[in-house]
Amino acid sequence: MGESVDLIIESIPQILMGLGLTLELLFLSGILGLMLAITVLLMRISGNPLLTWPAMIYIYIFRGTPILIQIFIIYYGLSQFEWIRESILWTLLREPFGCGILALTLNTGAYVSEILRGGVLGVDRGLLEAGSALGLSKRHRFIYITTPIAVRLAIPAYSNDVISLMKSTALVSTITLLDMMGYARIVYAETYAPYEVFTSLMVIYLIITWIIQRAFGLFEKRMSRHIRK
Amino acid sequence: MSDSEPVIILKEVDKFFGDFQALSKINLIVNKGERIVVCGPSGSGKSTMIRCINRLEQHNAGQIIVGGHELTDQVKDIDAVRREVGMVFQSFNLFPHLTIIDNLMLAPRLVRKTPKPEAREKAMSMLERVRIPEQAEKYPSQLSGGQQQRVAIARALCMNPEIMLFDEPTSALDPEMINEVLDVMTDLAKEGMTMICVTHEMGFARSVADAVVFMDEGEIVERNKPEEFFNNPQHERTKLFLSQILAH
Amino acid sequence: MEALTGWWDEFFWGSVVVVEVFFVALILMVLFGLLGAAAKLSDNKLAQKIASGYTIVFRGTPEILVLLLFYFGSAIALTSIAQIFDPEIKYVDIPPFWAGSFAIALIVGSYATETFRGAFQGVDPGQVEAARALGLSNFKTFIYIKTPAMWRLALPPFGNHMLSLIKDTALISVIGLEETVFIAEQATGTTGEPFTMFFLVGLIYLLFSTIITLSVMVLEKYSNKHLEVSN
Repeated sequence: MGESVDLIIESIPQILMGLGLTLELLFLSGILGLMLAITVLLMRISGNPLLTWPAMIYIYIFRGTPILIQIFIIYYGLSQFEWIRESILWTLLREPFGCGILALTLNTGAYVSEILRGGVLGVDRGLLEAGSALGLSKRHRFIYITTPIAVRLAIPAYSNDVISLMKSTALVSTITLLDMMGYARIVYAETYAPYEVFTSLMVIYLIITWIIQRAFGLFEKRMSRHIRK
Repeated sequence: MSDSEPVIILKEVDKFFGDFQALSKINLIVNKGERIVVCGPSGSGKSTMIRCINRLEQHNAGQIIVGGHELTDQVKDIDAVRREVGMVFQSFNLFPHLTIIDNLMLAPRLVRKTPKPEAREKAMSMLERVRIPEQAEKYPSQLSGGQQQRVAIARALCMNPEIMLFDEPTSALDPEMINEVLDVMTDLAKEGMTMICVTHEMGFARSVADAVVFMDEGEIVERNKPEEFFNNPQHERTKLFLSQILAH
Repeated sequence: MEALTGWWDEFFWGSVVVVEVFFVALILMVLFGLLGAAAKLSDNKLAQKIASGYTIVFRGTPEILVLLLFYFGSAIALTSIAQIFDPEIKYVDIPPFWAGSFAIALIVGSYATETFRGAFQGVDPGQVEAARALGLSNFKTFIYIKTPAMWRLALPPFGNHMLSLIKDTALISVIGLEETVFIAEQATGTTGEPFTMFFLVGLIYLLFSTIITLSVMVLEKYSNKHLEVSN
């Protein structure tokens, strides 16, 4: 047993070499995904069928299929097509990193746009009526009434999605990227001690999860100053 | 005394929710400075009627003319009407994420493009008018129901409306807070504000109203001066309603 | 498209495996969720701590890692236990089907724990009081009053848990389960058309998730029938 604990601790430095990539994937996909989600949300609630239908289809596809498949289609699948290999997209799609970012961004974008929509739907109709009665335009109501309230409502679900995103980054190890999971698999291949290596990896992920949750907890607290129970 | 210049005209107004007819051939004229109380059983269409006046609901037939502007689908017509009309809701609907003073300043700054200092001055004077200037920097959740409703009245007044609509303003309040709101409304009435008030507060109707309108099943059944209305109801349905609410 | 000829059979059976895993995991997931919720709602501090630990660990760890840990960990554990009985045994493992089903049930079960807990707490206490006042026993109250009310509250998020479950089945291919992803990888090897193969797998999963979503909608309508406002 003592041997196991040593092994758990020894694997940590090597696994942490992948931390940079894990965080890079998390932040880049997170931010791009959020921007995509806001765009898709505005399309979804625009009322214009030309915008709502593509948005709904995108959300449906990316929430209805496993993210592993999405990663595989983008990384392995797209290389099947000559016209892709010959386009400028290929610079992005040739590398597993680009594919990974693309897949993660598209995936989180679909989930987050639904989360934001949930926030928007959660805004009390009465407040919007009051805004209308005061003469505020649709745009004003959306910016000054809906958005602040919807954001606060969406924070818990959004923080869960960020954690899901972090967990999904581990999947890029299946397309040869060396994030933390990727390094863990290398250590496992060297030591044949999967249990210990994967345990230390798990502990590291749990620490990151805890940090994310604390950060969002503080953010939510700040956004909720105006509420007293 | 009121000028006999009509500021609100409803002519043969119908309103449907799907198959259900909420308003049926509504004809109503409100003159400048008049104070109208609308009462009636639940589902009689009283809220629907006043919500049609500022286009929170869309009427299906007939005409609604407010301050000379006819209410149509056109945004500019709707905006023109909403500039004349202020509304106070049963559930206050104060913006929870803004302070009281910000609640009051939001619309004047965005809609009338009033500069901040001027908007603030007006807001503070309205808060004084409803007697709670010291709450300016607080958030709605920190105020009692009665205070919140008074803020809601002040907020509507900051837009300088010609007409005020009240949709059961005291129905969501604990009994001990009803009077503070009715007092503010009475002050407004004394200053000559044209108002339509949907309410169950018959004492208020008796003391403040120029006319009481009774609605039932989407129709206006009876309209009369308060004295006449309470002592000498004409229709059976009115008599029934009055006996039900005045029994205790 | 012709690349798919000859593979339809394989994909069909792969899909059957997915469905089998789903139902096994679903039953286990509900079990874990209810146990976890019961532990969290109980007065036993230890049970509460264990349940908390359970939710924290399984909600914060990547699913693929849980799968690998579980697969290897259970093999190690089982091998050690088996070696007590027969020192000759080199390696005992659990078939990927069972290791995978169990693992994903544990993962989604940790989310279900919170859902069920919240749903039980959301049951109107007035109803429970009324039931007891009418003379219904604790047990009867639980079955006839609490549980239906709890399901109505839990159904929408539970639908999401089912969707997570079906999508997580794709990950089990990583530990060698011969389901659709695995088949697609094989087919790609011989046909050189990865897009076609994985796209088909995507469609299969889309079909499954659509069926689940529609079923949940029907169930929601049914369980809310008594709440429909009549004109």
